[in-house]
Amino acid sequence: MSPDQLSAVWLSIKVSIVATLLNAAIGIPLAYLLARRRFWGRAAVDVLVTLPLVLPPTVTGYYLIVLLGRRGVLGAPLYEATGWSVAFTWYAAVIAATVMALPLLVRTARAAIESVDPNLERAAFTLGRAEWRTALEVTLPLARNGILAGLVLAFARALGEFGATLMLAGNIPGKTQTLPLSIYTAVQTGEAGQAMALVAVLTLLSCGVVVASARLGARPL
Amino acid sequence: MSQRLEVRLVKRLPGFTLDVEWSAGDGVAVLFGPSGAGKTLTLQCLSGLLEPDAGRIVVGSRVLFDTAARINVPPQRRGLGYVFQGYALFPHLSVAANIGFGLRGRPRADVLRRVAEVIERMGLGGLEHRRPHEISGGQRQRVALGRALAPDPAFLLLDEPLSALDAGLRQSLREELAGILSDWHVAAVLVTHDFQEAYRLGDQIVVYEAGQVIQAAPRSELLWRPASERVAGILGIRNILRGTVVKASPDRIQLRWRGQMLEAVNSPVRSYLPEPDHSLAFFIRPEYVRLIRKDRGVADPMHHMNLLSGDIVREADFGTTFTLYFRLDAPGRPAQGDYDLEVEVPRLVYEILEIGRDRRWQLSMHRGSIQVLPGAGTSEDER
Repeated sequence: MSPDQLSAVWLSIKVSIVATLLNAAIGIPLAYLLARRRFWGRAAVDVLVTLPLVLPPTVTGYYLIVLLGRRGVLGAPLYEATGWSVAFTWYAAVIAATVMALPLLVRTARAAIESVDPNLERAAFTLGRAEWRTALEVTLPLARNGILAGLVLAFARALGEFGATLMLAGNIPGKTQTLPLSIYTAVQTGEAGQAMALVAVLTLLSCGVVVASARLGARPL
Repeated sequence: MSQRLEVRLVKRLPGFTLDVEWSAGDGVAVLFGPSGAGKTLTLQCLSGLLEPDAGRIVVGSRVLFDTAARINVPPQRRGLGYVFQGYALFPHLSVAANIGFGLRGRPRADVLRRVAEVIERMGLGGLEHRRPHEISGGQRQRVALGRALAPDPAFLLLDEPLSALDAGLRQSLREELAGILSDWHVAAVLVTHDFQEAYRLGDQIVVYEAGQVIQAAPRSELLWRPASERVAGILGIRNILRGTVVKASPDRIQLRWRGQMLEAVNSPVRSYLPEPDHSLAFFIRPEYVRLIRKDRGVADPMHHMNLLSGDIVREADFGTTFTLYFRLDAPGRPAQGDYDLEVEVPRLVYEILEIGRDRRWQLSMHRGSIQVLPGAGTSEDER
């Protein structure tokens, strides 16, 4: 394996871990709100979060460029103020992976939270617990397996992300070239042996994810 | 200890309006009525889990809810214990953690002492570290009661605590619940649609129908003097009939029904004096109707009050008792579909009298077992 390809393996793992942590921070509260609260714009939030699941990844990537690119809605003011743009950095790979993985976590976690008996939450209220404490002490622990399964799915999705990453972060070897991009490049340049090695690494990582999720699913409360 | 709970509330839902007013003191008040009458809705309003559209809820001198004064104490600070249908124990917490759940914020030593005390009194010793799915149904009920009672609530609210159980367990848990409620001397409001349960557990019974209270009374008064035909119907009383008043005096009421004259005792405490020719509802308890033995000679109207005769058109075997459906020898449509009167006899009587073969009988009932239902006159009863 070339140094660039080795760095692609590490970059992919790093990007996936950070994207999964971001997913946990954003996705779990979002899943709770969608499952338990009725608020204005709830349907719109629901659609927006789910969209990356059904849109072609390149389209999602395009929207991310429109939003965050050097001339983007948010990207342009940032570039003017700091001279820095997120596009074509490894942060861009993290953002692309996070957005693409979010619907998987939110949908899985939301279903798990919705399946928690609301009477358990009401019981906690009558025993003096505020709603946020009830969420932390009752709802989320009981939805734990579903939430963890969602995080595993999100990690797997982040690991395999290709289209949106290519659009926003590009394919710069040693900088933004993740494992799937590296495989694509190896195939394009006719390095069959290298491609095979990278595919083996990705397959192994994915198998690990499947085993981990099976273990989580089988664990009792 | 003796605090009164005063409830007045209105809650409008699509296609249903709850509009009730009642109060409860010491002991157990049962909210009784058919499913969908608004009993659980009332409990949710009491606990603060649901906000009524209007009304006032007061415990002792503490106002929990008052639309006029814009008071709505959240469920967390109402100080009421709630026992949910199916118990709603936290499945991820141990028995001890479930019982201690409502004690957060107190010094650790106090929490431990109180949890140990509740576990001891509930007979749950040795189960502290078990999870709810690892204990029996009876133990689960005690954990649910212990969890609600541990913070020392002013009132305990119980929502159909026994409805999810099968018949055998249900009866033993009902007895256990009765024991715990009187043992802890806690005032309680209990919701049920089972009259036996209501009668066994309640000191006072509030009868609900279609979002309204149709009678609130001590339990014995309710059973022997239902306020109206509607209450009698909800209590599952059989043979609710309509006759015409012939003569009413403070101690007797004579009435005509299916061409026969019947004589009933007027209530000594609540005598009811309808005008002659008034329509009047009354009921005859099926187990109080006597069959007249044919081997004892001709029935004597002097000894046998309210004598009737007729044929058995159907019967139903309930194992220890038989229900016989009689059609009387009177022209015109029978009072209850294809029969006039339901009569219940013990199996032994059924066999000795060979009722299986002999379908024609004379019946009699004492005037004291014909109960007149006041307030159900001709037109003014449909409020």
